[in-house]
Order: sequence, then C-alpha cells, then structure tokens
Amino acid sequence: MSPASNGSDQTTSLLAFEEVTRRHPDGHRELVVLDRASFAIAPGLFAGVYGARRSGKSTVLRLAAGIELPDSGVVRIGGRDTAAMSAVERERLLRREVSLVCIDDWHPKPHESVVDYVALALGSEGATLRQARLRARRTLSRIGLEQHGDEPASRLSLGERLRAMLARALVREPSLLLVDEPAVIPRLRDREELVLALRDAAAEHRATLLIASEEMGPLHGADLVISIGGGEVNVAVPRLGRVVQFPGGRGPGGRGPGGGQSERGGHGKQSEDDGEGGHGSGHEARLP
Amino acid sequence: MTAIAQTTTGEVADGMWMRGSAAPLKGALLGLVLERPGHGYDLANRLNMRLGPAWRLEANRVYRLLDDLERSGLVRYEVQPSKHGPRQLRTVYHPTEHAREALTRWIETAVPREAARSVLQAKIAVAREDDAPRLLEALKRYERDCLELSQALSPPTALSRSWRGLVIDCARDAVDAQLKAEVDWARRTRQRIGEYVAGE
Repeated sequence: MSPASNGSDQTTSLLAFEEVTRRHPDGHRELVVLDRASFAIAPGLFAGVYGARRSGKSTVLRLAAGIELPDSGVVRIGGRDTAAMSAVERERLLRREVSLVCIDDWHPKPHESVVDYVALALGSEGATLRQARLRARRTLSRIGLEQHGDEPASRLSLGERLRAMLARALVREPSLLLVDEPAVIPRLRDREELVLALRDAAAEHRATLLIASEEMGPLHGADLVISIGGGEVNVAVPRLGRVVQFPGGRGPGGRGPGGGQSERGGHGKQSEDDGEGGHGSGHEARLP
Repeated sequence: MTAIAQTTTGEVADGMWMRGSAAPLKGALLGLVLERPGHGYDLANRLNMRLGPAWRLEANRVYRLLDDLERSGLVRYEVQPSKHGPRQLRTVYHPTEHAREALTRWIETAVPREAARSVLQAKIAVAREDDAPRLLEALKRYERDCLELSQALSPPTALSRSWRGLVIDCARDAVDAQLKAEVDWARRTRQRIGEYVAGE
C-alpha cells in the first residue's frame, strides 16, 4: 500500500516511512528486519504495529523515535528526514516531539518521588526544577495520580507505575507518542486501563499515538494497523462502509482517517450500558 | 454445436462456474484434474486427502461437481476400459483447454472474509508453483481484511465490572481470537511461500 492511500501523504503526515530497510546482525549473517517498508501516519491518528515477537515491531518504534536510523530509505518526523539532521539537531527535535514508552523499562532511582520521576523527563529542556515539578504535578493530576506525587516511585502498584510512565512520556507534550508492548502487562484490566489512558491522553494532546503489540486487543479501534512479519509490512486501513463494529451499540461514528480525533475523545465517557442489545442487527451499525 | 461452445466459453470467461457455495470444491477439483486426470472415485479420494476431513466430502457429491465442471466446459471425460477387466468401463476426467486459465482466474479472485479461510485453503491446497505471486497477493489482502475487522472491534471502554460488560467483552474476545489466528496464519503462510520463492 502506498503511503498516500493512508489518508495522508509526505507533506501532511506526522510520521512517514519511505522504502525503509533496516538490517540487524544475526550471527555471521544479516537479518533484514524491514525490507523497503512504506507507510505514513497523519497527525492525531491512532496507529498500531502488529507483529509476533522478534518480528521488528520495536525496530519500527526505534526508527520512529530516531534512536535508530534506516540502512536505506527515509524516516520522516513532521516531514523532516531523521538521517539528514545533525546528531544535535536530531536529539533536540526528538526530545521535543517524540516520547517512547517501553512498558518493561521501569527504573526509578531509589527514593525518587513520583513527581521527580516525571519531572526528570524535562531535565534537559532548560526548565528550573521548580518549573519542572510544577509541570509534572499538572500532568500527574491529568492522569489521576496526583495523590501519589510525593510517594517514592518504587512503592507504586503496577497500575500506578504504568500511569507514572505515561505521565513521564506526556509531560513534554510530544506530538508523537510511541508505546512498546502493552501485552507484557500481566493483568488484563491493567492493560486495558493503560491503553484507554493512552488513547485519552493522546486525544487530549492531539498527539499521534503508535502502539506496538503482539496482541490485537490493544489495537482495537485504531485508524490504521501496520502488520509486520518477515521484513514486510502490510498496512490495513478500515474502509468506510465495509466494516461492522462489534459489539454494536455505538451507532455510526466518524471513524477512519480524519474522523478518528473526535471519536477518540469520547471513549472514556462511554457508559456501561453501551453494547447492550448490540447483537440486534439494528445496532450493528454499518458505517456511512 | 457452435452455440454450445460459445455458451461454455462465456461461462468460463465470466466466472459463473466459480460462484456459489460449491465453488471452493469445484476449484480444488479442477486443480486436481489439471495435476493428473483420474476417474471419479480417485478424484474424490484425492480431494479428501488434500482438503482434510473437516470438509466431510462424499463421493456422490464429487461426481455431481465433476458433472458441473463438465457442463462448464472445464473438464471432459473419456470412457476407458478398466484395468480390472475388459468388460468393465470407467470414466476418466481430463482438463479441457480452458481449465488452466480458469484455475488461474479462480486463484486470483478475491476471497471475501465472510467466506472464511477455507476458500483460500482450497486454493492453496491445489496451487501450482507459478501461482505463488497470486497466492501471496490473496493472502496479503486477506490478512488486511482480517486486520480491518479487528480494528473495527470496539476498544475496551466501559471497563465495567458488571456481568453484562464481562460477557460482551468475552464475546468480542472470541472474534478477536479468531481474527488473530487468521492474521497469524496468513502472515506465516506468506512468509513461507515468500521464503520458498526467494530460495529458488
């Protein structure tokens, strides 16, 4: 699928891969993790990367975060080629625009408070400690963790820890939020809550959200899904009018590229009763 | 005679023969006849071996399907003396000159998701080596269809602790699990065929 058919093109997309090839050493040989992969994601959309373990999902995220550079092809963030910038320029752009959250990666310093854990993400932005802590508290309260701000981060429960990580990723107000593998969270409820919080936060900040997972659950409702395997990507964009929502009950919504933003904001507010009677054909809304 | 030939060619050309619920079986049978002509019972056996017990094939049904294929002008039969004795005759089915092209068209016809993977399975079971690009394309499209349906599943929203919320979630999970299995199968199959082609 060409990048243009994802509802965005090179000039309007926030993140674009153009014929990206990436190889990793594999013993004496080289493993082609990505082979001329192309896709583009418009600003504000929710996209998923779906693939098995070791299929290259994390590589896609690291390329999108500018931590890795492609062996050939171009990765653009906000239209800018990550490989064409100087290292300093790249670091500055990525610090300002991109946050990468690896769910496995929880390493607070001993005795560090939750506020400081979050505020540290602002360390190199020239903010004073006071300003940084203020912004950290604001972010914490937005995701419902303000009452734990002064506790040591190491004492948080798993669910709280995930939200602290999310706050740390959001405090810089990135335009691209990358999340690696929510499926490592053992409790289904914690996982779903994290994904919901991510989507709400991304919608509120008008940030583009890219979640990589080996499960499809965290990617439900995505505007596009990039399936990856054997070095190849296969980009699925729901075609309007073809897809039936299940369970029904939400009625026709402004779904798909362009319509994703407004719809996403409402997810957290959906009532428990939604889905009731959704098995009747009248509720299985065919999208316009 | 000419009129009959025209009807037949027309039916092959517009793909009428590959419509209907029996299409996967007819397609697979045609593939087998192209591989090697055979009599009805032999073809029924081979079809059973190729597609597996889940299809619950009966020999009578296979004879009817062979008749259909014969009427569509894709196979023709010859009556030959049986090996078992000069007085016994048997009908051996051969592909016609339209068969090869018709199978190619069938393999590259899009598989709607409602029809489920079994149609794709039937195509793969009898595909020829030069069908590999068509299979790869069909699998890729199928994988995308399944992914799109999965995306259309409502994300977990209510997080309700009610029983109703739970059972709705579990029902959704059943669909998700099926789609995931389909996507994983399609991708694995693409990868295997791709590696085979690349290794040539």
